[in-house]
Amino acid sequence: MSPNPVGARMEQLAQALAERIVPMVIEAIDIDALIDRVDIDKVVSRVDVDKVISKVDVEKVIERVDVEKIIDRVDINAIVEKINIDALVEQTELGSIIARSTTGILTEILDVIRAQGVGLDDFIFRWGNRLTGRRRRVADWPEGPPLLVEPKVTAGS
Amino acid sequence: MTVSAPAAELTVGRQGHYAGAVSRLVAFGADVGASWGLYTLGIALFNTSFKLVTGHSYNLTNHQLLALIILGFWEFIYFSYQWAVSGRTLGMAIFGLQVVTTEGAHIGVRQAILRTLSLALSLMFFWFAFWGIIFQRERRALDDLLAGTVVVYSWDARAARLRWMARTENAMHRRVPHPIGREHDPERGRHAAS
Repeated sequence: MSPNPVGARMEQLAQALAERIVPMVIEAIDIDALIDRVDIDKVVSRVDVDKVISKVDVEKVIERVDVEKIIDRVDINAIVEKINIDALVEQTELGSIIARSTTGILTEILDVIRAQGVGLDDFIFRWGNRLTGRRRRVADWPEGPPLLVEPKVTAGS
Repeated sequence: MTVSAPAAELTVGRQGHYAGAVSRLVAFGADVGASWGLYTLGIALFNTSFKLVTGHSYNLTNHQLLALIILGFWEFIYFSYQWAVSGRTLGMAIFGLQVVTTEGAHIGVRQAILRTLSLALSLMFFWFAFWGIIFQRERRALDDLLAGTVVVYSWDARAARLRWMARTENAMHRRVPHPIGREHDPERGRHAAS
């Protein structure tokens, strides 16, 4: 409070007046009408969102988020029920991968036989090259047709 | 027991590469067997049908020239049709091979027919016709050179690898509890054994 007694009384008077007037003014204002007159789009357009975002410490926000609590509140079963498994399998490679991954022992044997065949082919090809003495020259030979295999990049080219 | 997957450089890494002598020879052997088996089956069916319809038996072995012509025609259809449709015969499909143009595109009907006729020529001159598979730059035999084709490795090696991975994954999940309390890892056991 002010040390001057007149000043103190004036201050009390002003305080009392304010306590009476302010609620009356607030009551008199039509907030809805006021808001209607505000051009929100214009206000928003003046906000520099990038600047606001740059000031936000995302790491800190994430740290405060309790992910486990969120997960607990998610009804996983309800989500799974909504997934159309048939459509998923039809629209992705998932179906063919599952089908191919679960085929019988015969196809696995075929995989091995094919790989063994490739190994034997290489063996015969190597021996053929040894017999003709062209082991180094073969290194520049194409491995396959240009549409199927990228041409080799050799040191000389 | 878990069998290790074939090395990627022999499977996934070789797709589209020129196929070698062993794979091609084995595939051709399988084709000869399959076509001969189908021919024999066809002849047997024809004999049975002929007997059922006419009441008389007709044995093609008594008409060797006709049998040879039919066999030749059948072999022509067997190879040319399959090559024209998919670039591979039954034997080639089993051993993961495909006939393509020298550029690597699918072959057409004309090339399929030409290759079949050239194959017959190659078989007639077999003592030099097939050396190209070992010594030629693009591993082409006489029939390939005449038809303008090459043979490449072509099977779904990526799917095969996934299949192996899926199987290995299953084996990992089926870990058996060890008698003294430690887990027995089939993968580790396999590597230790190999």
